[in-house]
Amino acid sequence: MSDVAVVTIEADPSPMALILAATLRRAARTPKLAASLTSAKGSVALKSTVDPQAATMRFGDGRAHVTSGVAADADVVIEVDVNRMSDPDAPKPKVSGAARHPKLALAVAKLLEPPHGSWQEEAREFWVFASSHPGCPLGLRVVSIDTGSEATFGEAPPDYELHGTDHALVTLFTGGSVLGQELLDGKLCAVGSLRHTAELTGRSLAWMLGGQ
Amino acid sequence: MDAGAVPAWLDEHDVRWVRTESVSLDGFLIGKHLSPNKFAKGLPLGNAITELVLGYDIGGTPYLAWWDDWRRDALGDFHQRPDLSTLVMVPDRPHTAAVLCDLVGVDGEELPVCPRSLLRRVVGRLGDQGFTAQAAFEIEGMIFAESVIDARRKHFKGLTPLSLPTGLGYLHQNSREQLAFLDEALARCEALGIFVEGWHDEAAPGQFEINLDPTDPITACDHVVRTKQVLREVAAEQGHIVTFAAKPTDAYGNGLHVHHSLRQDGEPVFYAPDGTMSQTTRHWIGGLMATMPGATSLLCPTINSYRRMIGWAAAPTVASWAEDNKSTALRVLSRSPGAARIEDRVAAADANPYLVLAAVLGGGLAGLEKAIDPPPPLAVAGWGLPAGWPHLPNTITRAADALANDALLHAQLGDAFCDYWVNTRRWEWLMYHTTGGEPVATGVTQWELDRYFEVV
Repeated sequence: MSDVAVVTIEADPSPMALILAATLRRAARTPKLAASLTSAKGSVALKSTVDPQAATMRFGDGRAHVTSGVAADADVVIEVDVNRMSDPDAPKPKVSGAARHPKLALAVAKLLEPPHGSWQEEAREFWVFASSHPGCPLGLRVVSIDTGSEATFGEAPPDYELHGTDHALVTLFTGGSVLGQELLDGKLCAVGSLRHTAELTGRSLAWMLGGQ
Repeated sequence: MDAGAVPAWLDEHDVRWVRTESVSLDGFLIGKHLSPNKFAKGLPLGNAITELVLGYDIGGTPYLAWWDDWRRDALGDFHQRPDLSTLVMVPDRPHTAAVLCDLVGVDGEELPVCPRSLLRRVVGRLGDQGFTAQAAFEIEGMIFAESVIDARRKHFKGLTPLSLPTGLGYLHQNSREQLAFLDEALARCEALGIFVEGWHDEAAPGQFEINLDPTDPITACDHVVRTKQVLREVAAEQGHIVTFAAKPTDAYGNGLHVHHSLRQDGEPVFYAPDGTMSQTTRHWIGGLMATMPGATSLLCPTINSYRRMIGWAAAPTVASWAEDNKSTALRVLSRSPGAARIEDRVAAADANPYLVLAAVLGGGLAGLEKAIDPPPPLAVAGWGLPAGWPHLPNTITRAADALANDALLHAQLGDAFCDYWVNTRRWEWLMYHTTGGEPVATGVTQWELDRYFEVV
């Protein structure tokens, strides 16, 4: 069974529902987490502490189904600052219902933080997704300001560059952030045209929402 | 008037400022106040204006999650090319003139996403096929006693309608409360060359409806955007606030119904005295029906537009047509040679009239070009129908998906326009969810009131 089939989503979903579904699908690519997902039973809601965004994951029959909002019968509710979830110093989430459903809470906590590769590996996967889109740069150079290591994808010489910490790069390339916002926040720097920045921002947003 | 005659006209009218008026994707009047000398020197191309006027959302956030070939790499300028046939004096400002403008590129090239230019292209193709169209809009809005500042303080909730607090409609007692507002506004419209067939109190508290005279499609839309501007200005001057949000309260929403008729060789195409429609009319309706789900994205552009589209609330909810049936999306009126027309009742008051009419006329044209037969007319009430009926898209994303997949409208309106519009609607959905909109909402949210109440 594919990760897509294991995780289903409501019709006309909200962004948070899409993001959660994408995260669960990413987790399901890891055998251990896939087993955890298919054996989980119950419902877990993720609720933003900074705005009304919320979504509920319902586990059972070897599947997960994601809907918008907090289900009235959610077994576990996780409240989190959605704008800072990827930050190294992100505030600790507030979890209710974990005492009654410890196994479910623990399983979902792991599912929502699937393992990732190095920023170079994640960048390669992102590039495969993004580079086929019309308007994207033909080549991409990525530079870590932590180590000075770099990677180049596509045609040489690359017509777009991204510079950032290992953490900022891996967050972007795993769909944990959106390029435009990271540039505005100063977490990443870029060398390239506005056209390419916009197109790559759109691609990073689509990547975050599950690759549509 | 040609460009050479403009300086003398400006002198003659003692003009100190020329207000250039283009139309944004959201249907807003946008432009500058120029000195007469600056305005005249810029002709015929017109003054420069940042390309961002077609590149930001209703909340002022630039669309920077995709790009388009008509945009310049370094955020350059467009030009506001004046349509000098629309140059008028602004009635309440003695030394100010106003002129409607198309947005064009730096070399005067047409932009695929300028709403006025888009409609002109559709009307041109209609003309190429030997047809002329006329159109007339019904503008619905709501007037409240509070000033703009007080309404903001109240977050646009619990406002005092200029009418009985219960909705009745057509009640002259309510009209009386709105007289000072509408008398002044419609007098200014008349001075701008905008004439109305009539107006009346409508069914929601504070709601009114203005029926504009039929005219050619471009002028009909010009009259809508200028009338809305006048209504806003007069309301503000009288210490009130007016809104054209599709659903500003829990009462009936505001629509922007549009009537259109066709003539070929001087004869009314939709006229069917014995009830037998011509093949042209059938195909026209067939095109409108086939494109209705995709056109909904243009006719109902905001998150709030879809709050209006619920059963038994006067707005259509299924793709449907019938002779003189106000519960259908298309109300066909074919029995009078002087008034044979089709009323499209889908559009919300927050829609851009140029895009509405481009979608409607483009849909009809598609029907003619592809010889599309319509489904049977709806023989039942169009509201409250169960699953299995051709329900219109009921969210901004579903409508955007329908337009994205509508090859007929893409052919009529152009890929560049349709792709850009679909992106902007998906962006609006994203803004709703990520800047404070309720994820599961059935009624009007505070986010919608904050974003749309004053500006659409």
